[in-house]
Amino acid sequence: MNKLYIFLKYFFIIVWTVFVVAPFLWALTTSFKDFQSVNAGVTYIPWIDFEPNLEGWKVLIKSPAKGGVDIVEPYFNSLFVTCAASLISIILGTLSAYALSRYTFKAGFVKNNDITFFFISQRIMPPIVLSIPFFLFLSSINLLDSLTGLIVVYIVLLMPIAVWIMVDFFNKVPREIDETALIDGCNPYQAFLKVVLPNSIPGLIVAGMFCIIFGWIDFFFAFILTFTEVQLLPVKIVALNSSVTPWWSLSASALVSVAPLIIVAFIVERYLSKGNLSGAIK
Amino acid sequence: MAKIDLSKISHTYNSNDPNPVYALNPFSMTWENGNRYAILGPSGCGKTTMLNIVSGLVRPSAGRILFDDKDVTDLRTEDRNIAQVFQFPVIYNTMTVYENLAFPLKCRGFSKSKTDERVNSVAETLNLKSFLNSPARKLTADQKQLISLGRGLVREDVAAVLMDEPLTVIDPDLKFRLRRNLKEINEQYKTTLVYVTHDQNEAMTFADNIIVMSEGEVVQTGSPKELFERPNTTFVGYFIGSPAMNLFESEASSNDSVKINNILIKTHTNLSNLKTKNIKLGIRSEFIKIAQNQNENLVDVNVEKVEDLGNYKLITAKMGNFMIKSKVSRETEIPTKDVKLHLPADKCCVYENNRLI
Repeated sequence: MNKLYIFLKYFFIIVWTVFVVAPFLWALTTSFKDFQSVNAGVTYIPWIDFEPNLEGWKVLIKSPAKGGVDIVEPYFNSLFVTCAASLISIILGTLSAYALSRYTFKAGFVKNNDITFFFISQRIMPPIVLSIPFFLFLSSINLLDSLTGLIVVYIVLLMPIAVWIMVDFFNKVPREIDETALIDGCNPYQAFLKVVLPNSIPGLIVAGMFCIIFGWIDFFFAFILTFTEVQLLPVKIVALNSSVTPWWSLSASALVSVAPLIIVAFIVERYLSKGNLSGAIK
Repeated sequence: MAKIDLSKISHTYNSNDPNPVYALNPFSMTWENGNRYAILGPSGCGKTTMLNIVSGLVRPSAGRILFDDKDVTDLRTEDRNIAQVFQFPVIYNTMTVYENLAFPLKCRGFSKSKTDERVNSVAETLNLKSFLNSPARKLTADQKQLISLGRGLVREDVAAVLMDEPLTVIDPDLKFRLRRNLKEINEQYKTTLVYVTHDQNEAMTFADNIIVMSEGEVVQTGSPKELFERPNTTFVGYFIGSPAMNLFESEASSNDSVKINNILIKTHTNLSNLKTKNIKLGIRSEFIKIAQNQNENLVDVNVEKVEDLGNYKLITAKMGNFMIKSKVSRETEIPTKDVKLHLPADKCCVYENNRLI
């Protein structure tokens, strides 16, 4: 029984690992292939199965005039929009969450929990429902096809995540902490900034991580709300797909686009393993 | 340090309700500068609400609070210059022990040298000196509570230090020492200390004035001796002392005596103005002794149980349909039958509708 259990355990771990790693391995090897190698069937081992070359990677930084695809600008656009929207969402979301956790709001039948649910409900709605209102809204304020417009939209999408995580986190921070800070001589703002916020860093990191992930991977709104002036990375990658799919550069750009998330995951994972976040995600 | 006046204070947490339930019924009281007070009562009786009203965390539904005759009812907590220690450790996790202790001084703009001096002095008193540079979150629960206590004591000029069952998480040895330290601090700096507890021993050993509360009402204020010997209500008699006060249903017999099971018991209370028949006689088990050669206030009892509790013996006996308890010295020989107990008249308290006459 015990042996069967160990066998099944390792069997499923191996199956899952293959399932997760295989696409990366496929993308990694494909990014070093050329047209012939890609069409020569499924091969994985460089120099033996196929002759590796860097063409797929080189075109990523070459300008279109020289036959490249130049993902550098979309890359930095994505980085800027994601970081700016995440930062603003975290700031606004944390302030809202603190207020929702500590003060009682009441407007008719609407109370604190309903307001929190209202924020979360923004994420329940299918994105397509929001696309036309966002389009008309940005167009009315002349922010279509601009980084600022995208940041505004992303704040709407990311702030609910920050509110949701931080309300839960602040609810677990004892009220006595705030009260002690008031007794020690802080005003409510100082109590929040000097005492509650430093105690909430684990929650902020988790909220920040989710905001960055959801901001970075968005394709839908980036696709609908931008045309020629501004392009984000996911849109650029999809645009690479032409009549003859350049699998090598597509794979390379996919790997490059995943890189920041892997870095975020490593940092958060190291923090998690120290036990610093245990309270934040329980 | 200040004299604190609580004038006609009352509080309800559901003020919008047409028939609100009061967490604190109206009361007035003065806390003199430099005294030690204990607020004693069972859980949920309004002790913490009273502290929170004084510190400003809760605004009373009615009444005024005055610090040295200055009305502070509408003053915010941070402007009241008061210290409060909660039941469970509240520490600033991201700071060191030193930073935790220095925080109240830093918030109020004390100089670096003054802060150093006060933090070191408090750390010395609370045995925290060797941990000053450690991160506060790495300390044990009782050390964390010491930090909370230290933050309460670090300012010398506070109006009062309010402590809400602060020693609950501290082990008994240290508890005893800390209570002594708190007394010393009070004597040395004349800081007004208010200590909330549901443990009567803690209250009796710590305070020179005890405020007993029950169901949102202040039922008695007085010295430990007064509370022990002349409880104002049967609740205080029952709540204070171990074992609780002996209470017997009785009827008035003359101007100064009552009858229990047809036995006449003389008291020193004037019973001529009784309005009801709901009379109880109360007497502490400490004052009931085995009769030697007294000839009044004697009751025949059947001894049911004698417990040797180390420094005294506790006799549990039956007197008709009442149980009676008596504390006697360890050396006392307790006869097996024909036991007579003596109830001294001057120690008998008579209660009408559960209130002392």
